[in-house]
Amino acid sequence: MAASVAARGGGAVTRRLLRGAARGLRGAGGGGGAAAEPDGDGAAAEPAGAVVNVVFVDRAGRRVPVRGRVGDNVLHLAQRHGLELEGACEASLACSTCHVYVSQTHLDRLPAPDEREDDLLDMAPLLQENSRLGCQIVLTPELEGAEFTLPKVTRNFYVDGHVPKPH
Amino acid sequence: MDDVHQNLPESSTRGNLVEQRTLFVSVAPAAMPTAKPIMKPIFILSKQLAVCVLQDPRVLDSMLPYLMTYYGNPHSRTHAYGWESEAAMEKARRQVADLIGADHREIIFTSGATESNNMAIKGVARFYKSRKKHIVTTQTEHKCVLDSCRSLETEGFQVTYLPVKRNGLIDLKELEAALQPDTSLVSVMTVNNEIGVKQPIRDIGEICRAHKVFFHTDAAQAIGKIPMDVNDMKIDLMSISGHKIYGPKGVGAIYVRRRPRVRLEPLQSGGGQERGLRSGTVPTPLAVGLGAACEVAQQEMEYDHKRISLLAERLVTKIMNEVPDVVMNGDREHRYPGCVNLSFAYVEGESLLMALKDVALSSGSACTSASLEPSYVLRAIGTDEDLAHSSIRFGIGRFTTEEEVDYTVQKCIQHVKRLREMSPLWEMVQDGIDLKSIKWTQH
Repeated sequence: MAASVAARGGGAVTRRLLRGAARGLRGAGGGGGAAAEPDGDGAAAEPAGAVVNVVFVDRAGRRVPVRGRVGDNVLHLAQRHGLELEGACEASLACSTCHVYVSQTHLDRLPAPDEREDDLLDMAPLLQENSRLGCQIVLTPELEGAEFTLPKVTRNFYVDGHVPKPH
Repeated sequence: MDDVHQNLPESSTRGNLVEQRTLFVSVAPAAMPTAKPIMKPIFILSKQLAVCVLQDPRVLDSMLPYLMTYYGNPHSRTHAYGWESEAAMEKARRQVADLIGADHREIIFTSGATESNNMAIKGVARFYKSRKKHIVTTQTEHKCVLDSCRSLETEGFQVTYLPVKRNGLIDLKELEAALQPDTSLVSVMTVNNEIGVKQPIRDIGEICRAHKVFFHTDAAQAIGKIPMDVNDMKIDLMSISGHKIYGPKGVGAIYVRRRPRVRLEPLQSGGGQERGLRSGTVPTPLAVGLGAACEVAQQEMEYDHKRISLLAERLVTKIMNEVPDVVMNGDREHRYPGCVNLSFAYVEGESLLMALKDVALSSGSACTSASLEPSYVLRAIGTDEDLAHSSIRFGIGRFTTEEEVDYTVQKCIQHVKRLREMSPLWEMVQDGIDLKSIKWTQH
């Protein structure tokens, strides 16, 4: 019902309600905490949902600029834009298929990894100092301009080039 | 009476072990009646202890079930054979971790300390190579450490090989001065395998932690013999060898710190076993043996140390009282007593070794026994080349008896005197000639 109101071009209140509902859903999938992020440009009316522009670099080296939002989970964001991040365990911290390299300048702006994330990163091939698990990265305004590069391979041995569907 | 055993605490298994061992030796060729018995030296294995040792019977006992009955692959997740092997492997992991104060998840099984050293040095260097290209080590490290460093130099890394003082210890100020902003690793062995010298590990750990440089130590000769604690000593990586602590050959371990996490580029790629750092099936019987050896060593450490110190004192004092011009290489105080390196002036080292062939000794360490160069460790502590050639390393361990020490001492004195009688250099020295003043001509 609310969706149809929006489709007819409903008012700002309705739009805010819809955004809030969508944010709630995304927050549940992405590990929470998004609603508390302060908006970068000081417009206190919209605490979350502000745009964060990031760039994904896919396994072939192609740059894919993406408009994310504060509170977005990087794994799901990538999947929504057709990037090859499998996310086999569906963001439950049980695999390393969402392994990404984070651009050096933005690496320190991420919270330190949980021990369990570090344990799973140990198992990821082609590990580097700037490696993180995509499903544990939640977009914040400080990550504006961040680059997430997909490593050439994941733990799956699809040497025939098979790409698994996102989970 | 036995002055060695007088003041030592009673160890109830001690008598059994000695008995078992004597039995072992006398039973030898019964299974092969037609084979001619090899002239087996009576006191086998007693002096090669710094190199390789008799397996403790308790270790062998723990391994046998996994060689005979429980032969499952520990990585097989789906059946009981796998589960029981995995349980044994994890128990062994905890036993190794307990010996060094580590968490069991920080222990990775390898094929030995050589592999562990390679993993630590090459692994850390390569992982951090985008920002850090410098490594610091010492000139007295084991060959596998030095060779790993040399191989990294061909990859474009820069290595500083710190010199040691005359007593074999490094200078802490020199170490600190050698650290650069792009240093990724410092590698210093705990106890030297040739001269027995013990480096100031705790101090080195402090310096490395303060400069945020990873600290690796090759503890193959130290663990199970002296107390080691990776947190107290601020060690980030440690190499462990099975066969140096009365465990089986072909197995070792590497300790890799989890907090703060140390990352390595794995040397061995594959199925991701051992935290992805060392792929390959873990040899359950060997791992079990290593674990048991560590547990036994922890129990016996204090007693062994006291007993070995007394035996070493006995060996050195007796030899030095009888024979002049004997130099003990390495610091007298900061050492592990079970590894004694003596240089006998005016005696040719190989001749002395061959004369003492019924005691398994060595000049230099096993890994250099095929090469002609005298020990680089002795050269690093400033030993003259001729003295370096006449050096003998005596290893005293858990199963060394007083009789063996006395026998070795007696033979040693006898042959040193004999060889000196034959030595023209000795004759000249007796006549008061200063050998350094002589100009030797080449023919």
